[in-house]
Amino acid sequence: MAVKKDLSINYLGVNCENPFFLSSSPVGGNYDMVRKAYEAGWGGVFFKTVGIFVADECSPRFDQTNKEGLPWLGFKNMEQISDKPTEKNFEFMYKLKRDYPDKIMVATIMGSCDEEWKQLAKMCDQAGADLIEGNFSCPQMTSHAMGSDVGSTPELVKQYSKAVSSTTKIPFIAKMTPNVTNMILPARAAIEGGAAGVSAINTVKSITNIDFENMTGMPVVNGKSSISGYSGAAVKPIALRFVAQMLQDEVLKNVPISGIGGIETWRDALEFLVLGCRNVQVTTAIMQYGYRIVEDMISGVSHFMDERGYNKLDDFIGSALGNLIPAEELNRDFKIYPNFDHKTCIGCGRCYVSCYDAAHQAIDWDEKKRRPNLNDECVGCHLCLNVCPVQGCITPGEIKWKEGRKPVEIAMKHNYE
Amino acid sequence: MSKVVKAKYTADAVDGFTPRTAMEEAARCLLCIDAPCSKGCPAGTDPGKFIRSIRFRNVKGAAETIRENNVLGGSCARVCPYDRLCEEYCSRCGIDKPIQIGKLQRFAVEQEKAHKMKILTAPEKKKADKVACIGSGPASLACAAKLAQAGYQVTIFEAAAKAGGVLTYGITPARLPQHVVDFDIKSVKDLGVKFVFDTKVGEDITVDELKKAGFKAIFVGAGLWDAKIPEIPGKDLKGVTNAIDFLKAARDSKGTFDPGKKVVVIGGGDVAMDCATTAKLLGAENVMVYYRRTLEEAPANMAELQYVTSLGITITTNFAPAELVGDKKVEFAVFNGRDGVSGAKVAVDTVVFAIGQAPEDMTKIAPVKVTEKGTIAANAKGKTNVAGIFAAGDAVNGGKTVVEAVAAGKEAAAEIIGYLAKKEGVK
Repeated sequence: MAVKKDLSINYLGVNCENPFFLSSSPVGGNYDMVRKAYEAGWGGVFFKTVGIFVADECSPRFDQTNKEGLPWLGFKNMEQISDKPTEKNFEFMYKLKRDYPDKIMVATIMGSCDEEWKQLAKMCDQAGADLIEGNFSCPQMTSHAMGSDVGSTPELVKQYSKAVSSTTKIPFIAKMTPNVTNMILPARAAIEGGAAGVSAINTVKSITNIDFENMTGMPVVNGKSSISGYSGAAVKPIALRFVAQMLQDEVLKNVPISGIGGIETWRDALEFLVLGCRNVQVTTAIMQYGYRIVEDMISGVSHFMDERGYNKLDDFIGSALGNLIPAEELNRDFKIYPNFDHKTCIGCGRCYVSCYDAAHQAIDWDEKKRRPNLNDECVGCHLCLNVCPVQGCITPGEIKWKEGRKPVEIAMKHNYE
Repeated sequence: MSKVVKAKYTADAVDGFTPRTAMEEAARCLLCIDAPCSKGCPAGTDPGKFIRSIRFRNVKGAAETIRENNVLGGSCARVCPYDRLCEEYCSRCGIDKPIQIGKLQRFAVEQEKAHKMKILTAPEKKKADKVACIGSGPASLACAAKLAQAGYQVTIFEAAAKAGGVLTYGITPARLPQHVVDFDIKSVKDLGVKFVFDTKVGEDITVDELKKAGFKAIFVGAGLWDAKIPEIPGKDLKGVTNAIDFLKAARDSKGTFDPGKKVVVIGGGDVAMDCATTAKLLGAENVMVYYRRTLEEAPANMAELQYVTSLGITITTNFAPAELVGDKKVEFAVFNGRDGVSGAKVAVDTVVFAIGQAPEDMTKIAPVKVTEKGTIAANAKGKTNVAGIFAAGDAVNGGKTVVEAVAAGKEAAAEIIGYLAKKEGVK
């Protein structure tokens, strides 16, 4: 029997069958799409953002970055909020909740003034949404009264959070933009305004590629392009950073956070959970691979829990957060020398090249045998280990204590995949 | 049921890379320091450099690296025995399998063509000295290109109607399409090298006449064009042929040649595999390769052996031909087993001997010393016993790879340049 664990979790008072959600985006914009996603196993949906404003979209509207033939390292999209009539969207949400009562319907909304936010909140009530997410973060809106221009202004975040929270009893989640240096400020503002939760991150303002044919950015729209949101695997590190900083903030530490940014696998999802997120939202990987990817998220997290003996998500949520400490608090008394396994080494010399050109000239290259040998210059940076193409060839080896420092028991990583 | 490959005579045996798949393959490359692959090429091609260029999205630079080093880079990309040259040295073998260096080279050369690049150039102001190259196969073409790049006026004399020698007449187009050969030859022509066809030196014109016509140095790259056929009964029956004639007839016919229904190819080298492929792709129902030794001893590329097998051709080892039987036309081939007791009798329409080629009488071409095998006696730099006459390629080494002929042709060109410069100095 395939391992299957109880992945249910309480999120803002709502019981979710699992922590895997579609984020508010093209992947969940009508009845049929969301139906299919539910049936594939997703726990719920942050429905494609609805406004009073109805979007008029450009074509084409997507681009992707790649490296060494690996596509979709990052993804750029220029789509705004829903291009369907407001009422139609709420009708979809109503029918989905009616037909799939156990799945979680989060209505994501975006207004351009208090009145619009309130009006949308009322419609969420009528549609029977479980939760409401306020989109303060879309970076490609054609109106500056909406989107990330609002999200980067804490006063507006607070004001609109208040407009929604004072209109409905449905818990309100504020979706943050990463196009700020400090996300704590708008997040605190949202909570002050009455928001119950925060989701992060929306997309990063970007120019992915320059097209030399038209001398503009990608995608090319009639010879022109615009800055717009970047997502996918490339932004996961940025998302994890913002999420961790918020969860470590005195004011925000108990606020339920929904993690978003570059999640493709169960491991990615788990990373957000062990930092303290209560669920995750996914779009880009679905755009590339489809809803089916949730199967391996459910199975992968189940196996993780099985291996570690966890019975519920709350057993491990937030377990990594305390181990992220300020740089000044790291133990700097030792270095770990790399160990070179000359038997598995294939003699490519990449460790030597990188150590010489980018580190400390600590590797001597035996030209005849085509093997690296460590010399006394090594500082234990492990650049060599990171460039080595052979699994298990360069591994952490001897621990060397700096002169006059007191050796203690240290925790280190042993297994590199 | 095994899935046997069905292909057209003129169709590529293997599809090339697209820019995307080339990048994927280049990304597998470990970009080694002092790249071992680059030491594995007889002609000194630097795959480490051109693969790095592909990886860093400089495909034009990759094409330059290849063409500047090897004027026959396109042909070599198709016919080189990579598995025992550069790819055998590839460090990636230690992880899984080598980078497909030949296929990446093919991609870079295809891009060169697609971008209409003109990589090799000759000085506008020519040197006064003229050089004649005899034959238009790999050694001559490589030699001529180097000389032309150095400013010499080069004329190639070719006995056949088309240029390329073994590239044009001796390899099946599935492995080496004519357009690839023609593109390589065009880069030689573009250097100002003149081609004189249907002119056999020694018959239509002599070396002395060439000298009188002002050619200060002569390079002999005449190749090996006499077929070896063992002295066995029935060898002169109708339906018995040799690899040279068989492959040439097939290529000249542009795919209309009828090889017969049952074809036996005798030999274990790449040429034998080319004959078998040709017969099969031209419609022979049953093609059988017989080789007197084991597969392990067979000189053919593993890739060629596998391709032949994929076409449904059988390879029987440890059987040598003993007799060909028939009334006017060959009807059976009789083989003796290497073990001294086994034997085979096979019904045939056509028997192709592909057991190697021999030099024709080289002294008829040029008054040079020959070895006891009949090949021209020349040193590694192409010097013969006669001042001003140089030689390289199959006519000297007795039949090796295209890339080795290219390397030797280049060496000889350097030697010729030295010789002519010295002569110039004496005057």
